[in-house]
Amino acid sequence: MSFLERQLEDPVRFARLKRWFYIGLAVVVLVEIVLPRLFHADHAHFPFENFPAWGALYGFVSCVAIIVVSKLIGKWWLMRPEDHYGDPDEDRDD
Amino acid sequence: MNVEWIHPGLLLILGAWVLPFLKGRAKQAAMLILPGAALIDCLLMTPGTYGVTSLLGQDVVFGRADSLSLIFSYVFSLLALLGMIYALHVDDDTQHVAALTYAGGALGVTFAGDFLSLYVFWELMAISSALLVWLGRERSAVAAGFRYLLVHVFGGLILLAGIIIHWSQTGSLAFGDMEAFSGGLGWALILTAFLLNAAVPPLGAWLPDAYPQATVTGAVFMTAFTTKSAVYVLIRGFPGTDLLIWLGAAMAIYGVVYAVLENDARRLLAYHIISQVGYMVCGVGIGTELAINGATAHAFAHILYKALLFMGAGAVLQMTGRRKLNEMGGLYKTMPLTLGLYMIGGFAISAVPLFSGFVSKSMVVSAAGEEHLGAVFLMLTLASAGTFLHTGLKLPYYMFFGREACRPGGPERVEGREPPRNMLVAMALAAVACILLGVLPETFYRHLPYFSDYVPYTLQHVTNALGMLSFTALGFFLLLKHLDPEPTISLDTDWFYRRGSTGLMKLIKGPLTRLEYGFVGEIYEFAIQRPVLGIAERLRRFDSRIVDSSLVGVGRLTRSLGLVLKPAISGQTQHYGLIMAVGILALVALVVFAL
Repeated sequence: MSFLERQLEDPVRFARLKRWFYIGLAVVVLVEIVLPRLFHADHAHFPFENFPAWGALYGFVSCVAIIVVSKLIGKWWLMRPEDHYGDPDEDRDD
Repeated sequence: MNVEWIHPGLLLILGAWVLPFLKGRAKQAAMLILPGAALIDCLLMTPGTYGVTSLLGQDVVFGRADSLSLIFSYVFSLLALLGMIYALHVDDDTQHVAALTYAGGALGVTFAGDFLSLYVFWELMAISSALLVWLGRERSAVAAGFRYLLVHVFGGLILLAGIIIHWSQTGSLAFGDMEAFSGGLGWALILTAFLLNAAVPPLGAWLPDAYPQATVTGAVFMTAFTTKSAVYVLIRGFPGTDLLIWLGAAMAIYGVVYAVLENDARRLLAYHIISQVGYMVCGVGIGTELAINGATAHAFAHILYKALLFMGAGAVLQMTGRRKLNEMGGLYKTMPLTLGLYMIGGFAISAVPLFSGFVSKSMVVSAAGEEHLGAVFLMLTLASAGTFLHTGLKLPYYMFFGREACRPGGPERVEGREPPRNMLVAMALAAVACILLGVLPETFYRHLPYFSDYVPYTLQHVTNALGMLSFTALGFFLLLKHLDPEPTISLDTDWFYRRGSTGLMKLIKGPLTRLEYGFVGEIYEFAIQRPVLGIAERLRRFDSRIVDSSLVGVGRLTRSLGLVLKPAISGQTQHYGLIMAVGILALVALVVFAL
């Protein structure tokens, strides 16, 4: 069993992995809020970029928005069964 | 032509024909030497104008080498080399010749200084790449190849019309910044043809339709050349065209939306080509030095990481025979190297710091920021999250982890093993390139068209990017249940020619056929068939009475003459000698007495 397999298949180790992921998220948010304030050397192009943890916030919102909106458009309109244009493995002459 | 200058494109196009005559190791060596030589040729080239000939009173420039064409030529020939390494095990000369011709065509477009040579190489690319789709050899691939070719023939005709109109209006075939002709018909047609090849919606449906049907190795070439040579000609001809800003930003999101719905692994990646080319098109539209540098750098980085991603998905397809995400899963156990290399490409496209996408994509986004294009800035950043969501998370999750990792005892295990060594080597080289570009941006930026003092690794950029990426990952894991791939296809603008053509066929088979047989046929019979038949009847009579009987008369005459002469043919030599002597005497007498 490889290292990766052990981490993913053992429930205890997988739970630990998950915990590290959440800790990582918290660290990233903290870093994004604190470091620019400590060094405030960069200039932002837009005022909204100065919102605390703007990257994390916008990333999360974008991700959810993309999934929800795309799935809605897909369900209502775009997604079709695979043989929508006819079965590709059959002759289309009728 | 200057003998000191060898066109790298022609080197590939002509050199490719050596391959069918070689075997085994020699062929493999040639497959590497040709693109290697083209790469060295490009690297050694100094800026200048080469290969100028005259045709139709116009200067035809085969070799315009400046900083813009050179950097594109580097990456095109480098990718040709990587692609050939990836295809080294494939025993199919047609594919190799088509791939090298395609790469040569892209180099030809890159170095073309006039519309005439541009057009020739443009069409050469369309035909040779269609071959790479057809060589998938499945029925669906053949159909997709025809659709691909028809769309590109259509685009080529638009380009040709644009060139002719532009030529007749300006009297020049030189290809440069088209801003002076902005708004004219020729300008619009040329721009449309370029946008079609850049796969800008609604003209871009050919790309996700055809690319996933191409051969495993052919698709790697396709990801690089058509769209990125279109980006090159857009940079060359249409920098600062406002329309492109919005088209590009919309395109970046359009590709992401379709990627959510997509089930075919390589088609998902194909939609992300559209999304990524959106950044480049947007950069061309913004048109500042930073934006043009960004578009160029992003094209360069994109070619390498997208090829790497297609190589990874292609390796899975080749080793498992599966292309749909809902049929994959758990491959990390059997294909760990492929997974690792794929992930480097995934991090690069997602603009993770220290990978190539970070140093190139941020230039375009920053350019939008500097021009205070708030909406564009937000759209591009949103698309960025979508890119990581799909290429960095969803695709590897369902391909390599998926059910087996989450729910033990799920559906049958997907059998897989690592691909042949040459495929891994090609992927590793592409991965090294992705990391080098990300780690050494200054070296990379030095080759861009404009001088650049852009610094990608600022505190805010890095922390922003990390926050965005990690919270995109959080969103992904929270909504994972809703992302399960479904066996569907998505409607795109190819509907118009796929369904539209069915409607057209019905129209042809129904009303048009009736019209043809009922109305047009009747008129034809009355107006043409009957008079023609009448004239034919008269001609026949003339023929039988006069021509035939005269021929018969000639025959009869010959026969009776023959009967008269028959006694002279006695079969005895002395008689013939006598007759000849009499004849000679008669001739002598004629000469002596008559003259």
